[in-house]
Amino acid sequence: MSVASVSTYSMVHATVRALYSKMLGPDTWTALVQAKDLDTALSVLSKTAYSTHLLLKGITPRRAVYQIRRRLADIYEKLIRLLPGEGSQLLLWLWRLYEVDDIKAVLRGIEARASWEQILLLLYPKPKHALLSLDTMQRMVLSGDVARAVELTSHTPYYNALVHAVERYKAERSLFPLEVALDLEHHRRLWESIEGFGDPDRTWALRIVGSMIDMDNLLWAIRYRIYHHLSEEEIINYTLPFGYQVGDEHIRAIAAGADIAGIVKSVYPEIPVAEKMDDESTAGRGLQALELTLQRRIAAQCRAAFIGDPFHIGIPLGYLVLSEYEIKDLTVLIEAKASQLPIETFERIMVFQSTAYADMAALR
Amino acid sequence: MFRALAMSKVQLVIPEQVVIPTTEALAASGVFHPTLNRYFSPEDTPDHASQWRDWVNAFTTLERRIMDVMEALDVDEGALPTETPHLIEPNEATLDVERLEQETLTCVRELEQQKQHLAQLQRYVNQLQPVASLNADLDTVRNLQYLFAMMGTIPIANLERLRSSLEHVPFKLVTLRRDEYLATVMLFGTKRDAEVLTRAARSAYLNPLNLPEMYHGTPAEAIEALQTEIQRTQERIDGLQADIDRLHEERIGHLRLLLWRVRASRTLAQTIAHYGRLRYTYLVEGWTPVSRIPLLQEKIKQVSNEVLIEVAPPQSRNEAETPVALEQVSPLRAFQSLVTTYSQPLYGELDPTPLLAITFPLIFGIMFGDVGHGLLLLLLGILLVSRVIKKLRGMASFGAIVIACGVTSMISGFLYGSVFGNEKLLTALWVQPLEEIMSILVATVGIGALLLSVGMVVNIANAALLKSWGHLLFGHNGLANLVFYWALLGLAWNVLPEMLGLAESFRLPESLVATLPLVAVAGALMVAFSEILENLVEGHRPLVKDSLGTYLVQLPVEIFEMLISLFSNTLSYVRMGAFAVAHGTLSLVIFIIADMAGAGSVGYWVVVVLGNLFVVGFEGMIVGIQTLRLEYYEFFSKFFAGGGASYHPLILVPRKEV
Repeated sequence: MSVASVSTYSMVHATVRALYSKMLGPDTWTALVQAKDLDTALSVLSKTAYSTHLLLKGITPRRAVYQIRRRLADIYEKLIRLLPGEGSQLLLWLWRLYEVDDIKAVLRGIEARASWEQILLLLYPKPKHALLSLDTMQRMVLSGDVARAVELTSHTPYYNALVHAVERYKAERSLFPLEVALDLEHHRRLWESIEGFGDPDRTWALRIVGSMIDMDNLLWAIRYRIYHHLSEEEIINYTLPFGYQVGDEHIRAIAAGADIAGIVKSVYPEIPVAEKMDDESTAGRGLQALELTLQRRIAAQCRAAFIGDPFHIGIPLGYLVLSEYEIKDLTVLIEAKASQLPIETFERIMVFQSTAYADMAALR
Repeated sequence: MFRALAMSKVQLVIPEQVVIPTTEALAASGVFHPTLNRYFSPEDTPDHASQWRDWVNAFTTLERRIMDVMEALDVDEGALPTETPHLIEPNEATLDVERLEQETLTCVRELEQQKQHLAQLQRYVNQLQPVASLNADLDTVRNLQYLFAMMGTIPIANLERLRSSLEHVPFKLVTLRRDEYLATVMLFGTKRDAEVLTRAARSAYLNPLNLPEMYHGTPAEAIEALQTEIQRTQERIDGLQADIDRLHEERIGHLRLLLWRVRASRTLAQTIAHYGRLRYTYLVEGWTPVSRIPLLQEKIKQVSNEVLIEVAPPQSRNEAETPVALEQVSPLRAFQSLVTTYSQPLYGELDPTPLLAITFPLIFGIMFGDVGHGLLLLLLGILLVSRVIKKLRGMASFGAIVIACGVTSMISGFLYGSVFGNEKLLTALWVQPLEEIMSILVATVGIGALLLSVGMVVNIANAALLKSWGHLLFGHNGLANLVFYWALLGLAWNVLPEMLGLAESFRLPESLVATLPLVAVAGALMVAFSEILENLVEGHRPLVKDSLGTYLVQLPVEIFEMLISLFSNTLSYVRMGAFAVAHGTLSLVIFIIADMAGAGSVGYWVVVVLGNLFVVGFEGMIVGIQTLRLEYYEFFSKFFAGGGASYHPLILVPRKEV
């Protein structure tokens, strides 16, 4: 623990600790899951840290999700401001995962001829550091044309990748090349933002963000093979050659047609993996389970950051990723309650499922 | 001038059929400050509110579309309209916007396409340049029988990935040119592997050249043909640009008017969405200055006689929601903005703007006394107020403050005998700060004591206006505190002549001096027991919030804190004298440095001019900040509660700045 790291992270650590204590506890989760309807669930939520963002009057499920996401935007804004240099850059690129999702939502909206009002509530609330303001996104939607919308991103780091991929969009009339180009560009830059760190920051950034990149890369490769039936060279070109535990050799092996379950086991020997993942008809549940298991594994890495040396980037990163998962779970819960789904249907697809949650409660 | 305008609460019952013209009339009056209707919130009548909210959304989208058309035609918003625009229905506005989009965007989109075509042609040229010297026919490359060849651009980051994805097939990837993000490459392989190579190239985002078949011959010949096409496209672009310029001239007025109508309609819809609603009527509540009620009534009557207007008697006491409308006296407006930056006065509280307009330039002038520097500030202020320089127009409102500060700096400059830092040209009418440091420090503390006393007197006046008699007599900075402060000042005054070697005549009469300690002790006790005395006078019970024991233990601490506070507040003003001295010292340093460059030389005058500019800019800014600090933290804290609500009358179009 160096003096530099103490001075860099003391304020961040204090802030994150305070925020961490406000994450939803086991009792609240139980009350939320057991709530008889959406109104009851939202009323439970209005007594938590989300109360400042939740406006219950005239609320709809979609509006509720938009409102609770505002908390995440606020937290990112606060921590990016507190962290100096490389730390804030990494957080910024982590935040841009949402911006990338927003661009995809806007482009899909344009393709589907959706109105701005329909698209707006699908977007993430924009913090001050967002490159694309809501105003720009509205202009993208109103342009009514994917190529013209891409031109409006000219001030962002995504522009070069997007404008080059537009050629393929025009030829194929599919958003797939645009979305893949966007994902690859973002993940490359996210990975680059880890490389500037020294230890222990680098170790923690790899454990958390590297694991997230691994998960995405692995799932992309599997999905391209199973669902998109892409060839070996296409899978290689549409994935990343780097990662924390998932290496190029693993991706190449999947691309070449090797047994997927075997490869996943070789990377993550400690996690249970469905045996039949090579076939489109049987892979669905296995893949969903794999994604959830990997997310829970990342959540465990995030929680581990709060034990031991408190002055490293793992603390803000861990908290942000846990917050993201909390909001994902809340989104599932709100939609499930709005659709009146039984508990057993939605609880198993939540990251903070009651059993998985027990570890976190113990560490708190 | 010293108090905010008296306000009355106004309630309106508006029949449904005249809600739009009545709201337009309310806006046209420019005096009605609407409040949220507390009895019938929009949430209670979702249908009514949602209809207006839908209109708000529609107008927001329309505004964006109009601005897009304006941007395409390079039309700015222009000046604010002279008359308030009337509501336009969303459907009518939509039709108008669609027509404008059709005639404009067709042209603009073709221009875009031509520009893209031009960029594509230039890309072809750029890609062909590296192989321009090749003496091979492009058709031969296109129709290779056994070889696969693809030329194109690829993101540099994808080059290695493409290479590694092709490890199972023979290939050759040649990089012809590298730019910042893209590389121009040539991919060769066998015809047999064409499918694999094409898939790999496509998935690595290698965009093929796809040079149209019409370009034949060698690369050099193709480049020549492309250049001709580039010229033709450029001419077409120029033609389209001329069409757009014509549309600009024809549509500029209509677009600006439509934009303001849509904006005004959005504000109108937004306002109505917040009205309360009964079955056939709307209920509206708000505030209007008493003197403007007749104007409001007349405006509404011009629209309809069916609107019921109920005006409450003028508000006498402050309530949290009563908005504060400060009287706009033109020369004081700049100082008013300094007050509202600190806080909006409470309703009924004295407006400190006139006091600030006197004390701010006074304090500044004392710290920045120099005839030459003051003159520069005066000229700068006149320049700002005149709005001659476009880039400085945003700061025009500060011009009056700069002028006032310039004048007081010049007056102080005569008193100090200083012109552009030179203290030999003029004879000081009073003192030269550098020569008589103690005198100027003591004098400024004296001015500070006077200002603090004024602050306390204003506080007493405020309490009288708010009929808070307990606070007037015993509150912080009330009468008891003022008496205590003056007694202490009297005691201090009595020892000063001896300390400074002044004449005996400066001493206070013996009989007065003898009573001062008694007055001070009495004042201190009254302030110390202020909580009990205040509650007693105002009839509040219990007299002591906590236990009496705790209260008595806190007493000595309270008295000590009050003493320290009065002492430090007064001494704070010593900085006025300190800055006057610093100003002289800084000027002296400039002349010392100038002398080092050689008296009378060019260097001497360069240092003198630059040095003086530095003093005006840098020290002027610091003195400005210190003046603001003295005003906000020492002076205002004595009497100004603030925290009032701002008065925002309903308007559909922002008013022109005067």
